[in-house]
Amino acid sequence: MEGQDQTRGDEAQQEKQKQEAEDENVLQFLDSADTFLTLMDSLSSTLRQGWLELASARHSMGASRISSALFDLKLHSAATSLQVTQHDVGSMVKRPHFTLHKWSFPDDETCCSEEAKFNEDKLQKNANSPQLRHRGTSQFSELLEKSPTSDGSSLKIDNQIQKERSKSLSMFGTLVSPKLRAAQLSFETALETLIVIANMRSSMISAFDQIQKEMEDIKQ
Amino acid sequence: MANRTQISTRNSALLAVIADEDTVTGFLLAGVGNVDLRRKTNYLIVDSKTTVKAIEDTFKDFTTREDIAIVLISQYIANMIRFLVDSYNKPVPAILEIPSKSHPYDPTHDSVLSRVKYLFSAESVASERR
Repeated sequence: MEGQDQTRGDEAQQEKQKQEAEDENVLQFLDSADTFLTLMDSLSSTLRQGWLELASARHSMGASRISSALFDLKLHSAATSLQVTQHDVGSMVKRPHFTLHKWSFPDDETCCSEEAKFNEDKLQKNANSPQLRHRGTSQFSELLEKSPTSDGSSLKIDNQIQKERSKSLSMFGTLVSPKLRAAQLSFETALETLIVIANMRSSMISAFDQIQKEMEDIKQ
Repeated sequence: MANRTQISTRNSALLAVIADEDTVTGFLLAGVGNVDLRRKTNYLIVDSKTTVKAIEDTFKDFTTREDIAIVLISQYIANMIRFLVDSYNKPVPAILEIPSKSHPYDPTHDSVLSRVKYLFSAESVASERR
């Protein structure tokens, strides 16, 4: 009699845990979908700003000075790249996690992953509470100033980033309009947002697959 | 899509762009441009002269390259090859549809959102759980 009660108790406990796991998947899905859509809005306004700045630069420098004909077609690798790692959701489910490495940032995995995590958290928070963006620096540079690294190393990294930015701008000439520099910063911000969007998308798909699997199990 | 298959760790993976000239210019300014030994780029500028076949071939190329982790494609261009984009289901490279100057982002056309949208209907979730 007591054994039966204990079995029933264990089953009820397992059922409760299963229900909680299902609810967690639904919450993760809804949360990811909401953040995804909010970030897409943010991306749209960042891109609009970038296009406007590009158009202003073209107006001041001349259309022939900012055109695809000037793109660098010599052998060169991307200064801004991505790191893809595997994020284990459960014992069986795996999803990709993307990290942005900007402007040939030093190959210090701890530094980059901490910066990227800090950056991602900040962008996700911004998705919920929109703030005015300071002009003149991208969000990444702002975070760099506030991130927990020593002053010396962040100054060195900042100089390196500025050099890489100038190298990228140089395909349009030595003297470029400030609007072109502003456009560059806007598109950098857009890139940062896109990486967070990619991770939200990955999280949304993972939660969706889990929910679908649960629904199929219920049907059976 | 997020499933049991192994996702290999990649460092220095690329971001590919299929978009109009201004969008590609902007992202190249942000440092994503890459040109390899065969002078192959990781971007395609789509204009009025670009054929649908060229867009399809580039999309297939970018989604099969090992060195590309994310493909950015303007949504109006994705609509031209919608069948191909919707039938793509690998986790990497991730396909992100972005707005363009003349075509704002429409969530109803996004391939991932259109696949999961039925879950937003309270009725469908509630009926399955009963």
